[in-house]
Amino acid sequence: MDAPTAARLAAGIGMGLATIGPGIGIGLLTGHTSEAIARQPEASGDIRTAFIIGLALAEALALYAFVIAIILLFVVK
Amino acid sequence: MLADAGANKVVEALSELNVQTLVHIPKVGPIDFSISNAVIYMWVSAVIVFVFFFVVARRLKKEPDGLQIIAEILLNFATGHLTGQIGEKGKKYYYLILTFFSYILVTNLVGLIPKPEALHPYTPTANINVTAGLAIVVFVVTQYQGFRRHGAGGYMKSWLTPPGVPKLMRVPLNALFFVVHLMGEFFKPLSLAVRLFGNTIAGHLIILVMLGLLLQYASALVIIPAGLFVVIMMAFEVFVAFIQAYIFSLLSVVYVETAIYAGH
Repeated sequence: MDAPTAARLAAGIGMGLATIGPGIGIGLLTGHTSEAIARQPEASGDIRTAFIIGLALAEALALYAFVIAIILLFVVK
Repeated sequence: MLADAGANKVVEALSELNVQTLVHIPKVGPIDFSISNAVIYMWVSAVIVFVFFFVVARRLKKEPDGLQIIAEILLNFATGHLTGQIGEKGKKYYYLILTFFSYILVTNLVGLIPKPEALHPYTPTANINVTAGLAIVVFVVTQYQGFRRHGAGGYMKSWLTPPGVPKLMRVPLNALFFVVHLMGEFFKPLSLAVRLFGNTIAGHLIILVMLGLLLQYASALVIIPAGLFVVIMMAFEVFVAFIQAYIFSLLSVVYVETAIYAGH
């Protein structure tokens, strides 16, 4: 296998693997957030802020992998 | 950045993500001052933000109407969490955070509008250089606040171990904590930049690939699902544009807050 082919393969597999963790994380986060809002609707503003911060942090992990995938695809020639 | 446009319609559609230099200006040292379509769209967004707030600020009323209602909703959305997070000291960052929010939002939305090829469509926030520039501003403000409020010694001290660590462990743990915190300070702007860039370019990539497929295989089997998907994805991208602008401003506030209250 030559380098560009290997890089494309790595980008695809790596991107797929990298979405697993953030997917689980965002799922847990959303579940617990809706539970918390259902339990205490008056605190929904604060809960939503914490939710969005957590969402951004979890999502960033997949985006790091996305950037690596882009580098693999377009830099390895 | 992306592959050359070829016979393949998908690849051709992706060429929208290329930066095109429109006006060539000779390089000064390593810096290229040429005017590209990315620069033009950044100027357009800046002008839209400026004109919008200028017009609203010129005719403020006690009972808001029309544009003023939109401006007030944006203001509350962008800066409502400021005093909640930082407290009274946070009022100073009102303008910075509102500018970040409205500029990123307008840039994202302008990039989402489908444009003919003659206008050289481009989304500046889908370029890592633009988002890195925004994140560097946050980094400078954060570090400036940290050093100014606590002094170099006090600020660095807040990166060391918290009180209550046994004496024997303090030296190796201090070294470890210092390195981790130092890296963390540089990862904060990096993640800000990558998050905005990644979200924008990922959305545009998906839409462009689907549109490319639609043109490549012109049959009802592809056109109907791909077309529907593009419509849904466009609506989702408008939502993402808001969320990303909100996250960028919110996280900037959180980072500045940790620098202001370092060591507490």
